[in-house]
Amino acid sequence: MESVFREETADPRTESVPLSHLSLELGHLYMEDFAAGRTRLRSHFDEVRPWAEAARAAAVRTHGPRARVSTCFLVDDYFTRHSSPSLVLPMLCEEAEAAEVRIDYLARESGCARAGNREPARAVEGRLVESPPPGSDGSRPPASEVGWLSNGQRSPGHHADSAEAMAGTPPAWAPASETGAREHSVFLDVELWSEQKGERLWSCPFLAGVWQLLRLGMLRHDGAAVLRPEEFGGTFPAEWAALPALLRLNRRAQPFAAYRTFSVLPTRFLPVEHAVRVLLGQVHIEAPVREQVERRAKGEGVVLPPELPDRAHYAFALEP
Amino acid sequence: MTRPKRDKVSGNKDAGHETVVVCGEVRTALLQTSLPLSQDQCARFLALRPDEPVRVSERPNVYAVSPDLLTGVDCRLPAASGSRVRGVGTVRAHAALTGGRVIQASAHFQYTTSVSGQRLPWSHYLVRPGLVERLGRTTADDLTAGFLAPRATEPGLLDPGSIASRLLDRARGHELLDGQPPLKSRRTRLRWAVRQVPPGAEPSVHFTIVDTERRTLLLLLPGLMDAKAVASVPPFCEELALHDWLLTTLIRVVERRALGSLSGPEVANRLGPAVSHLLHLWLPGARSGRELPELWNGVEQQPGFTRQWQTLVQRIRDQLALQSLPLHDSAPESSRAPTSAPRR
Amino acid sequence: MLVFAASDKGGTGRSVTSANLAYRRALRGDDVCYLDFDFGSPTAAAVFAVPDIPRGAASGGLHSHLRGAVTEPLRIDVWDRSEHDSLRYAPAGAGRLVLVPGDLGGGEFATAQEAVNRCTKLFAQLEEEFDLVLVDLSAGRSFAVDMALESTARPELRSAPCHWLVFHRWTRQHILAAAGLVYGERGLLANGIALGHDPARLRAALRFVRAVVPGQDSPGIKHARPPQSVWMHAVSRQLDALAAENGLGHGKVLGSVPEEPVLKLQEQLITDEDVLETQVANPETRSALEQLARRLVDDKAWEEF
Repeated sequence: MESVFREETADPRTESVPLSHLSLELGHLYMEDFAAGRTRLRSHFDEVRPWAEAARAAAVRTHGPRARVSTCFLVDDYFTRHSSPSLVLPMLCEEAEAAEVRIDYLARESGCARAGNREPARAVEGRLVESPPPGSDGSRPPASEVGWLSNGQRSPGHHADSAEAMAGTPPAWAPASETGAREHSVFLDVELWSEQKGERLWSCPFLAGVWQLLRLGMLRHDGAAVLRPEEFGGTFPAEWAALPALLRLNRRAQPFAAYRTFSVLPTRFLPVEHAVRVLLGQVHIEAPVREQVERRAKGEGVVLPPELPDRAHYAFALEP
Repeated sequence: MTRPKRDKVSGNKDAGHETVVVCGEVRTALLQTSLPLSQDQCARFLALRPDEPVRVSERPNVYAVSPDLLTGVDCRLPAASGSRVRGVGTVRAHAALTGGRVIQASAHFQYTTSVSGQRLPWSHYLVRPGLVERLGRTTADDLTAGFLAPRATEPGLLDPGSIASRLLDRARGHELLDGQPPLKSRRTRLRWAVRQVPPGAEPSVHFTIVDTERRTLLLLLPGLMDAKAVASVPPFCEELALHDWLLTTLIRVVERRALGSLSGPEVANRLGPAVSHLLHLWLPGARSGRELPELWNGVEQQPGFTRQWQTLVQRIRDQLALQSLPLHDSAPESSRAPTSAPRR
Repeated sequence: MLVFAASDKGGTGRSVTSANLAYRRALRGDDVCYLDFDFGSPTAAAVFAVPDIPRGAASGGLHSHLRGAVTEPLRIDVWDRSEHDSLRYAPAGAGRLVLVPGDLGGGEFATAQEAVNRCTKLFAQLEEEFDLVLVDLSAGRSFAVDMALESTARPELRSAPCHWLVFHRWTRQHILAAAGLVYGERGLLANGIALGHDPARLRAALRFVRAVVPGQDSPGIKHARPPQSVWMHAVSRQLDALAAENGLGHGKVLGSVPEEPVLKLQEQLITDEDVLETQVANPETRSALEQLARRLVDDKAWEEF
């Protein structure tokens, strides 16, 4: 019997996805921003523009004038659904264009949870391999069971441990600690999902992590690319559910996925993206996928940080 | 009937720094449902990760394996000498179904020496699935002997068994199972370790029955052990665990109560489920025999699996034949329906 | 089959009777596992005469397991380990008899989801293996009782047959206390239903066991003066009426175990040797335990009227 993991047998089935140098995300809006109307959208993209230009300039400095940069925008239709794509999205694209930050790819957040018959979030959950705090002997239930992912050792008295206290012997308190911290800890515990009436609701940080993995070209379903951009036909559907998970608005756009990502976001997203970093550092990427990207980067003379979280860059610069 | 015990662990000295050592544990149980799962159901049952397919083979019987799951570990390693050695890395685990009837959860890892001597960023381990780096000096002999020692299951020591056990528990709640198995049976756990020995030595198998539930297996394999050779070991151990479980379960069915004291329908009732659900699963070496024929030969000589199995099967056949003689005369077929329906 | 032994008060003979029940079922060929969930005072090891751990396992017992300190709780094969002469070797045709001891000085613990998860998995695993899993719960409304109720309401155990035995002595106070434990405001039924049990099914799975019942042969009755005898009969009739009024009537009684001098002095298993050879124990005790063991698996005993 051959080995179960496909890593060991460089599997020809693993599809390679085209890659840009940089995937540039043009901010993030909530549905209430859309509700606030055109002016709000325009001021958003006006704010994004200098940072987007700076990111593009940095890419040109590194990769030369032929640097491949694609832009993207993620619409939140997972936690709240507002209005209709046919009403909201034309306005969004027009205002972006007016602010001279053209959107190449439009994605919807629900697509990170489910895109057709694919479930990227479930797939990523199955690929979580937690960085074990010292003392992990294999008996700890995994994040997929607990629904929380951390970057270290929880304080006893948190979560499940608290209730195990026996009468008469209160649990000894100890601080939480970050695994591999430099001197002092910045401990983070991320809720991955919650259950509501038996339905799983993925958390915003978890979907944001899936979104980063998609942009980095790291996800496959049985060897095939998970998201394939669909060409924009000129009109948006009336229902969010009818909107493709990933839409190419610009026919001449560079590839959606890229070696690195750059996201321009409001400062309040900093904790979410901290959580994304914690997540990216604990996802097991299939070796053929990882190696494909590394091989091509090397062929192009592109230097790639070995750590996945270090391939995601940010400007936390926008007004809330 | 008892199987011969072999407790002797080889005293071979550690051959060198890069001696290959692979350790793991297999838990085997009857699937808790009334009818065996079909091939399609097996695939659904074992779809532990949506982005990786379940591998199913039809021959010689339906056999399905889930995609692998990795678990990060950083803890003390069980060393026979008691020396404090730390291990950091990942353990691989998967679940498998044989004949849609017997479920196995298997977890294993390979030891490597840490080059840096300290724990590195987690990404270092993520790209080395199934490897556990040891920090601290010890020998291959110390690690395998320690892993197979009874006190290796103390909390705080690296325990692939608890990972395997969790997989079994997770599977048990699956909607495809009705919770009404045809017979009572005990889970077994097989802890195994493989150590590379110098070329020229004979490969050897040391199989030990520790108690009613636990078994240990030490394999000493001579010569070169490349990735392919290492990869062929866990399937062998799983197949061995399956057959040990079949034998153990059948022994229990036969020996639980003196068969001679039971009435005809009772005997049929006792033996029937075992005959229809277990007997056809006995195919030692069917999956791993091609890669490791010498190991199967070893197991057949000592403890002589197939010899024991055939003796049991013959005993069952004799009992059933004996019971069917008077039954044919006195009672129509329909009156032999099970008399003790599952108690509620 | 999962059987839970509960009682409102201590001193009802719950532990010793349920241990004897486990023993009798094993003699009849069942594979039996006995779990000591009496976290307050683990004593089962002493009843089974298992050495080393007369007061529960030093570590690695049930309590440690449910707290997550050990992955598998300690299991003791009674036939292998007991110091009791008649228990040392499994009699011909007997099933397995396994004790899962409590922890030494474990004490009660606060309610915990994790503990219930582990408990559910443990019950499921043992049910897969044993014909009878007998769980001796601590007296009163304890966390052990809640945990058992909650675990058996989980999907993993929904298809597993469960029975609840409530032990009580044959006195006015004990009858009322047992009724309260089952039918009271925060009783087994109310709690069980709140945790998701089907009311009719849970009610049908409940039976009472009368323990330490003064028998006809007990010295108190045998040698009673006529006025005493009359008085005792009158009280007994009153108790019958009281039990019936409180839902403990004959239809809900699985069995009745007489007062046994041996058990007054020492909590132990009553073996056939004790009755037939050395004659230290009463034959009535043995036949009562035998009847209880028989009725436990008899569908007729569990029919509802």
